[in-house]
Amino acid sequence: MSTSPYSAMQLDALRELANIGSGTAGTALAQMLGRPVDISIPAALALPLADAVDAVGAAETPVTAVLLPLQGDLDAVVLLVFPVQDAERICVLLGVEPDSEIGRSALGEVGNILGSSYVGALAALTGLALEPEPPQTAGDMLGAIVASVLAARSQATDVALILDSQLEVEGESCAISFLLLPAAGGVDDLLVRMGVET
Amino acid sequence: MTEPAEIVVRMGELAVSKTAGQVLVSIGLGSCIGLAMLDRARGVAGLAHVMLPAGGAATEPLAKFADAAVPALAAGVEAVGARHVRLQAVLVGGAQMFSHGPNSMLDIGRRNEEAVCAALSQLRIPVVATATRGSSGRTIRVCTDGRVTVKAAGGDEVALLVGGAA
Repeated sequence: MSTSPYSAMQLDALRELANIGSGTAGTALAQMLGRPVDISIPAALALPLADAVDAVGAAETPVTAVLLPLQGDLDAVVLLVFPVQDAERICVLLGVEPDSEIGRSALGEVGNILGSSYVGALAALTGLALEPEPPQTAGDMLGAIVASVLAARSQATDVALILDSQLEVEGESCAISFLLLPAAGGVDDLLVRMGVET
Repeated sequence: MTEPAEIVVRMGELAVSKTAGQVLVSIGLGSCIGLAMLDRARGVAGLAHVMLPAGGAATEPLAKFADAAVPALAAGVEAVGARHVRLQAVLVGGAQMFSHGPNSMLDIGRRNEEAVCAALSQLRIPVVATATRGSSGRTIRVCTDGRVTVKAAGGDEVALLVGGAA
C-alpha cells in the first residue's frame, strides 16, 4: 500500500508478533473458561487515521472495551473489544451477572489477564521491558472508543498501525478483538528489536 | 424528490454543503469534536471532525487540529455562499471515554473543546448549542435546513437546533 510507511517484510514481522501475543492470550482465555479457544491469523494494518477507525469495525457498533496502556520501553496501548452480546456471553461463561457492576469488573479482569499474557509474550519476544497499567473499561460506540485512543497518540503522525487479532470461544458465538496500537516511535522500536528496521 | 445521501465526515475531515436537505454526519465522536457551522438564512452547512487541539504540519488532514480546522471550515462554508456575520457554531463531542487515565489520555476532549471555542471566538462566530464532555460517544447530524441533532451511545436522537431559516 502506497500510504504505508512500513515494508511488507516489516508488516509480516509485526503480524508474527501479534500472532504470538494473541496465541498466549488465547491459551489464558481457554484456561479461564475451561473451553478451547480459536485464534485467528492477525492483521497488521498501517492506515491513515480515518481509515484505521473504519478498519476496526462499524463506528456505531455498541461494544465493551478494555484499555491497557503499557508502561516501560514501548509507547503503545492494548485495546480489547468485546461486542456487547459477546461480553454478555463471557460474563455468563464466568458465572457472573452481565450488565452489572460485577460483570463489568469481571470483564476488566478478563481484559487484564488476556492483555497481560499478550504483553508478556511481546516482552519475551522483543526483550523490551513492558508492563500493563491497570485496565480501564468503557461501554460505548466502537468508533468513539477507537478514535479517542488513536487521537491521543496521533499528534505527530497521520498513520496508525493496528495489529488486530481475534479470539473465538469454540462452540459459543463469542469473539474478542485484540488491538495493539503503538505510537509511531513505538513501532520503530519494535522493528529494531525484531531486526527488520529500515 | 428523494433526499440526498448523508455525507460521512470522518476523523480529520471536513465537508460543506448548500444542497437543500443534505445531511452531514460524524459517527462515533469520543474525545473528537464535531463542529457544525451554519448560515441558516442561506441554507449552508459545514461539519468538521476535529481530533486534537493544535499543532502539526500543513500536510496534515485539514480538520485534524482545531486551530486549523476552524478557519478552514469557516472559509469552506463562506466559499459556498455563507455570510460570515450570520455564521453559527454547534459543538458535539469532547468526551472522556476512559475515566481514570490521567497520564494516558490527558483529557483531550476538554482541551479539544477549549481549542475549538478559542478559535471560534477569534473569528467572532457564536456557539449557539453544545453537547460536550461527559463520558459517552456521540453522533452528530447537521442538515443544510439548519437542523442539528445529537445521538449519544445507547440513547435517542435529540435536536440541538431545529430546522428552518432563522
